Amino acid sequence: MQVKKTNYTVNATPTFEVLTEEEIEAIYFSALRVLYETGVRVYEEEGVEIAHSGGAIVEDTTDDSSLVKIPPWMVDKALATLPRKVVVVGPDREHRMELYKNQIYFGAGSDTPFTWDPYTGERRRATYEDVKNFAKIAQAMPNMDFHMSLGIVQDVNVGTYDRWQYLAMLEGTTKPINITAVDLDGLQDQLEMAYVRVGGKEEFEKGPIFSLYIEPVSPLSHSEEVIQKLLFATDNGIPFVYTPCPLAGATAPCTLAGTAVQALTESLFGIVLSQLRKPGAPMIIGGLMSNMDMRTTVYCYGSPEMALLSAAYTQITKWLGVPMYETAGCSDAKMFDEQAVLEATFNATTAALTGGNMIHDVGYLEQGLTSSMEMMVATNEIVDRVKRILRGIPVTDETKALDVIEDVGPGGHYLEHDHTYTRFKDLIWQGPLTDRQNWENWDLAGRKTFRDRVHARVLEILETETEPLIDEDMYKELRQICELADERHKGEELDFDMFV
Amino acid sequence: MSTIYEKLATAVLEGNSDKVPDLIQKGMDEGKTAKELLDNGLVVGMDEVGARFKRGDMFVPEVLMSAESMKAGMGVLRPLLAEAEEEMLGTIVLGTVEGDLHDIGKNLVGMMCEGAGFEVVNLGFDQPPQAFIDAIKQHQPDIVGMSALLTTTMRAMGHTIKAIEEAGLRDQVKIMVGGAPVDKEFADRIGADGYGSNAPAASDLAKEFVSAA
Repeated sequence: MQVKKTNYTVNATPTFEVLTEEEIEAIYFSALRVLYETGVRVYEEEGVEIAHSGGAIVEDTTDDSSLVKIPPWMVDKALATLPRKVVVVGPDREHRMELYKNQIYFGAGSDTPFTWDPYTGERRRATYEDVKNFAKIAQAMPNMDFHMSLGIVQDVNVGTYDRWQYLAMLEGTTKPINITAVDLDGLQDQLEMAYVRVGGKEEFEKGPIFSLYIEPVSPLSHSEEVIQKLLFATDNGIPFVYTPCPLAGATAPCTLAGTAVQALTESLFGIVLSQLRKPGAPMIIGGLMSNMDMRTTVYCYGSPEMALLSAAYTQITKWLGVPMYETAGCSDAKMFDEQAVLEATFNATTAALTGGNMIHDVGYLEQGLTSSMEMMVATNEIVDRVKRILRGIPVTDETKALDVIEDVGPGGHYLEHDHTYTRFKDLIWQGPLTDRQNWENWDLAGRKTFRDRVHARVLEILETETEPLIDEDMYKELRQICELADERHKGEELDFDMFV
Repeated sequence: MSTIYEKLATAVLEGNSDKVPDLIQKGMDEGKTAKELLDNGLVVGMDEVGARFKRGDMFVPEVLMSAESMKAGMGVLRPLLAEAEEEMLGTIVLGTVEGDLHDIGKNLVGMMCEGAGFEVVNLGFDQPPQAFIDAIKQHQPDIVGMSALLTTTMRAMGHTIKAIEEAGLRDQVKIMVGGAPVDKEFADRIGADGYGSNAPAASDLAKEFVSAA
């Protein structure tokens, strides 16, 4: 008799854990101490005032900033109103992310200065067309659940490129989008664009079609722009990602536990401020924690430490009941090569096995400086494999198949059996880009490597005609918002094109 | 028995800040000049640090420890060199440009350059063009270094260079720029004199600037 059935399916999902509950608690209570005793520096007056009137101690105020110390009870209070589940949807409501507990969603990273041109095979500055094409790839990839701008659009003005990026993505995908904003004005414009896309403010509020990426600066600093975005997002019902990017050994302690404590301190300040402003404001914390490479001083996107820290932080966020912004599908390799696939496999697997919710940075190469369509298509297949592992091995009377074994008996075979026929497609994983041919057929087919097949798939997606996702009138309306922004910010530009 | 020069070079290589001032004193007692101790001791040590770092045999925290010991030595030698009217390597004004709070890359450049023997005036982050102009007037540097981590704030490097031009100070200084999204092409476009891809490269570039001058 299976008396413990409730627990049964939970255990069927393989999981990866790197911290015990005691360790999670130790990190959390240490973060509370840092937040209260060391404090964080806030470079925005309104943010300081909100924290102060909510009970924070404000010290050492200079012309541009204050040291803000948050007593632990304020964190308890904030966590009590922070939503444990955050939802972001696509504009047609077909794609949907429910971010909580073990729900995993993979998606792109954002704002790389460079990209690999799939046709010329050269690394160059990213353009509007690239960002649109990346969105098209994401749209075609079943395991990409949300999208970000895989390239900084650099064939438009610098101060307003964020609106163009959003437009390019809307042209290419109907999946939920995690936007970046140059500044508050850029955020307002993109919200305006989202209203146009989804059919008004009310529709957006029913189900936001983008979340906003906000990045406080480690160690323990919250810039003016960051706080402005946080407050605006909170006021307007925009779910936002509040993710510091501490570098172990450089902008955070070299010990990974210390890095986790500091990152959590930085995130907790965002939680407190958002909940003071508007109890119930949805946010996601994260997410990008890694080490500095001590030879080259770069931020490592493919290191085992990154995977380990991500796993630890995911456990911490689950314990706290806050949706998690994870990092995977990215690499330090300069091009889509063996190292790129190795690192993406490694970090995507650990991210999925720990169950971080919104797993971003798929498509990143060169420490997030270059994007690659091949990387995204390959990671889609990696994630597909991992999802097979996550389905585990359910052990029930039906799956143990004793009656089938009895039926076939010694010396028979299962190929013709109904039990096989009705289940094999579901249970035996097949990847469209994975080669399992025998030698002769592989040879005949032109000895294609994984890299060749991935590249061919990229071109196939780019060259497949698709129906426009937005009609002409809407496109014009969206484009006008971008053009008006250009007009308003004209004076800030340099008198030459910065890049192209 | 190793010479006092070798001992100094080794102390720098090992990042032994406590030992360096004592060794300098010992060298002075032996009758060596400040210039000799600098050129044959400290600089030899730092050159070896640079070579090992490039080979991948030394890591950033170790290099910074060496730079720190070089700085300790310079603290003792500087007044003596000034007394003997020896030429210093040069002065660098450094800052992260307006709107950008990212600090660490620029600080690494500062430490490396100090280690190479430069005087470094570190303005900090989020520095408006006027702060650079004031610093040029006040410190008369040979080199101005600026950095930005964000694509949006990269633009501020262009604005700053323009402001320095308009203040009539452009000819007095060499300008070097850096930061993750920056590359050589961009540096050329905004009218900088050079680009450093990381801290050691920036320090090498600074040395090139002053030796070419």
